[in-house]
Parts: sequence; C-alpha cells; structure tokens
Amino acid sequence: MNKSRIGLLLVAALSVLPASALAAGKAKAEAKASIGTDSGSEAEASASTNGAGASGEEAGAAGTAAADDNESETPDTGGGLEDICKIDPEACPKIDFDKEAKKPLGEQIFAVQQIYALRVRRFELNPFWSMSLNDQFVGHNGIGLGINFYPFNILGIGVSGTYFNWFNTDSSFNADVRRSARVGVPLTEYDWNASVNLTFVPAYGKFAGFGDFIFQYDAYIVAGGGLISTRPIPVFDPDYRNFSYKVKPSGNVGVGLRIFFYRWMAAILELRDYIYQEELENTHTGGSDPKSGGAMCDGTQGVNHSDAKYWLCEKKLTNAVQAQVGFSFFLPTTFDYRLPK
Amino acid sequence: MGTKTMNIAATSRSFVYVLAAGLVVCTASKSASAQEVVVTGPLAGAPAAHRLRLYREGRFEIQPNATFSLLDEFKREIFVGATLNYNLSESFALGVWGSFAVAKMDTALTQHIQDRITARDCPAVTSEADANYLDCRLTKVNLGSKFTNQLGTVDWMAVPQLTFTPFRGKIAFFQSLFVDTDLHFFAGPAFVGLSERKNCSSVETCSASFSTASRTTITGAFGLGLSFFTHKWGALVIDWRAVPFSRNVGGFDTAGSGPNKAFPDNKISSDDRQFRFNQYVSVGYSMFLPFQNRVSE
Repeated sequence: MNKSRIGLLLVAALSVLPASALAAGKAKAEAKASIGTDSGSEAEASASTNGAGASGEEAGAAGTAAADDNESETPDTGGGLEDICKIDPEACPKIDFDKEAKKPLGEQIFAVQQIYALRVRRFELNPFWSMSLNDQFVGHNGIGLGINFYPFNILGIGVSGTYFNWFNTDSSFNADVRRSARVGVPLTEYDWNASVNLTFVPAYGKFAGFGDFIFQYDAYIVAGGGLISTRPIPVFDPDYRNFSYKVKPSGNVGVGLRIFFYRWMAAILELRDYIYQEELENTHTGGSDPKSGGAMCDGTQGVNHSDAKYWLCEKKLTNAVQAQVGFSFFLPTTFDYRLPK
Repeated sequence: MGTKTMNIAATSRSFVYVLAAGLVVCTASKSASAQEVVVTGPLAGAPAAHRLRLYREGRFEIQPNATFSLLDEFKREIFVGATLNYNLSESFALGVWGSFAVAKMDTALTQHIQDRITARDCPAVTSEADANYLDCRLTKVNLGSKFTNQLGTVDWMAVPQLTFTPFRGKIAFFQSLFVDTDLHFFAGPAFVGLSERKNCSSVETCSASFSTASRTTITGAFGLGLSFFTHKWGALVIDWRAVPFSRNVGGFDTAGSGPNKAFPDNKISSDDRQFRFNQYVSVGYSMFLPFQNRVSE
C-alpha cells in the first residue's frame, strides 16, 4: 500500500518535471512558439467555438505537446521509468516507445469544432420582410414566411411565400421621369408569390466581438421554383385598361446570411432574385375615339380601346431582386451533438 | 359553510396546480437553453479567444480596389482606386479611400428615353398650335438630342476615414477551407467631384444647352465591409459604402416653383438636386506591411 503511494507521488513528480524541462531548450522553445504562431488560427477557432471554455482545449493541447516532449526526453534523464519499475513493478509502463513513435500522427483536428447550431433534423420557421432592390419606379414590398426542414446539416428543403398586395408603392422618381421626359415605363405590381426551395449551407463561422463575446453565423445559397401573381399597372391608357392579377411560373436563386442569437434563433439577411416572364402593358394608345382609337402592339390604330387583347404586348424576362430581412426559429429548440466536445 | 370551505380549498388547490404547471413550463423553457455554456472556475472571465493573429496592429495597409455604383437610374459607374490605412491597433485604423470613375454606362432607362427622343425628332422651333410636337414643347427644357450627355455622374471621390474593426473570426467553407475574417465599419468626410447639368435661368437658355459642368461637394461617407485573410500579409476585401448627397442625375427641371418649390420653374438650379443615398460596392485586395503579423497572448 505504502509502495503504491510512493509510486503515485513519483509519477506526479515526473509529470511535473517536463514542464520545467521545456524552458531549458531555447531552440525547442522557439520551435514551439512558431508552431503556436502557425496554429494560432486553429487555437482561436477552437477557443471561439465555446468562448472561454475553449481555452481549456487549448491548454489541453499544450499539455499534450508537453507530454510528447517528455516522452522523447525521458531516456536522457537517466532512469526515471526504471525507478518506477523498481519501486512498483505493477506500475511499470509497458509501452514500446519505438513502436509508438512509428505510429502515424494523422490525427484529424477540426479548425471549427462543434457547429454552434446544428440544423439537421430540425425545422426552421422564417418570417421576413421583403423589399425590392432593383425597381426604381415601383416598390414591391411584402411580408413573408418560409418553412424549411433540414434532412442534412447542410441541406434543407422547404416552402416560402410572400404577400405583396397591400405593400406595393409608387416612387417619386416615377413621377419625375414621366413629367420631365414625358416617357412612360410599363409598370407592374405584385400580389403574392410562393415557391418550393432547396437551401444549401456551405459556409459557417463566428466572430469575436470586441475580443469579449462570440457570435455565430452561417451563409447559405437558396434556389427554387414556384408561382408569382402579378399584373401591369395601367400607365398608358388608364381610362380604358384595367388589369387582373395573373399567376405565372417563377424561379428563384438567392444568398443569405444567418446570425445566431441562440441555438434556436437567428436574424437573417437574404438577397433573392425571383425570375419570371412578365407581360407588359401596350405602350401604344392610339386616338381618343373609344370605338376605333386604340392601337395594336405595333402601333397600328383602329382597334377598340376596350378590347383587352390589345392591352398587353411585350413579354419580358424579369428579375425581381428582393432583400429579405427577418428571423429564423429552429424547432426543436434543443439538439444533441453526435460526438462529445 | 362547509361547502364554502371546500370551494376555497378546491380553488387553492387549482391555484397551486396552475403555479406548479407554470413552474414546470418555466423550468422546461430554461432547459431549452441549457446548452449555453456558463464558464466557472479558473476559466471564468478569461478572454473569448487567445493567440489571435494580429493582422492589423501596427501595420500599413495598401488596398487597390474597384468600386461599382449600385441602384443607378441612368448611368452605372465603375471606379478604380485605392485605400491606404495605418492600423493604430487591431480595432482602429486611420486612412483614406480614393477612387476615379473609369467607366460610365447607360442603363436601359437611358436608352429607352433616348429612343423616345429620336422618335419625336423635335425641330429646333415648334409652333404652339402644332399638337404633333406637344411632347417636344413640354420637354424643351429637360431633354436635349443626346440624353446621355446631360446626365449627372460622379467623377471622383476622396474619403479620409476612420476604420473600426470590432468583429473578427473565421468562416468555414465546406468544412475544409477556413479563412480568418473580420467585419469592419468606416466613416469619414467625403470630397466628391461630380459632373452635372449646367445651371440655366430661362427656357431659351436651358433649351439651348444641355452640357454638364463639374463641381465639388463635401459630405459624409460611411459603410462596412468584410476582410477575408488569404495570407498573413493579404486579404480580400468587400466593402459597401454610402456617400449621401444631393445631385441632379437626369439633368431635369423638377423643382423650384410653387408650394415647397416642388414644381418645375423652367430653370436648372440647385433646387433641382435631389437627395440620394449613392451606394457603392468595392472589391479589393489589402496588402499589409510589414509582411509578418504578430500573435496575441
């Protein structure tokens, strides 16, 4: 019993010794410093994975390095292990150092450990506000909701929709151009859109704010297809023309950024381009005679103003680029990691 | 009496059940955020990150960049320039951004208006009675024969600026490519050289000349950007910048008379300038000197 106590004390003493041995070799210390410099980003990454808690990982890594140094230096100290074996043969290490040294050191170290918020097998509710970015004449603002399910951590499938009807706006620039240049531009307004989307999350990361706190984010690419309901705003012959909303097929692609406040809640900023074929109003109006003063698409006069088949002319592939700002709520709110930290 | 006591007891029991249920719900909701790590022991209060690569502190930064104008009505512009910074610390830098316009491209709207001008084929003098030239008469002050020549553009910008970098971290692409990244904000006074339609004071003088003149305005500029460090000495930088000021982009007479001067006055003057946000995106590559970075404690 006493022997084993003495043995344990010796082991403890030996494990302390290497730390002082580290400081002795200047060349080795410099080498370690440079390693530290090179792996600085990894250390930072592991640290910032979990705030201050990750410092422990770093310390652990340093400890591992120290232990490795000890193993290589032990034979030079002359008999440290032999002493243990003499005192307590049962505690004598039975490690073949030559064999161990030949083992490949291919340990995989993850630069960013334990993704802060796993998406796999979780639902995402995403209410958002949508604003048009590339239409100077009409603002297509809307309120929307997206629902996604992530069968994989990097891939989600879902649906989203936006309601525009109440929120279409006319810009002062539109009035200025019409008054100053007497040039009309065919305008459209939106009712709603709906689409089925695939969301791919290839990038994620984190920021340390003021060197004090850490927040996590991810970046995603989204693409899908669906429907959009739009109609022209009567600009050229508003006395006679009145358009109804028509549903058209549309595709969409976008990129987004999600900034996590909690593992179940994030703010999102997304740019989405809704691509569809728009039918534009006939820019020709013809004369003032309601029976025969209208014009066909090529400007030929003599058709009835009220004949709706001459109201629409050009079909144009339209890119409606929308900025979508909102929140993401992940359900269930908790999850388990597959591997321990 | 007995019934009343029983009712009170039942009410009390119900209250306790509701309270207990509330506690359970509250406790349950707390367990939902139980994964947030509360650090105790020797690591409590330790900095969030150690051994940071100090990419900025004490280093000069030279960044050639290309800048693109956003949300233009009549002309898209591309600028070429550079940012020069001295990083006082990891968080603050003093420097200057300057850019010159090297390309000015007409938008589809400009082309559309030009097509209408061509189709109208306005004569130099039109009769008031001639209804065919109504558009010509009404746009006499606003549209010349070459619309693109009367448009307002930004020629150059110089912005002494303070850059603040509060956020730094890392981004992982496909779990295999890891890049040190920082998010920075900048602001400063902006000196902007622009071309704009020359002032004129009557229908006759305005309809005779649609040329532009240069002027310089002083305003403010601000923005934010991301730096992706590809090397110890270099980073790819993407900045968004706003330089808000008033200008007359179309060369139109839109204001100057009537209530709040909100109606045309057949003159081109400063009244016709409208406030715009003037947004730009820059893409550049920062090179840091000296080449070697330091590492924090």
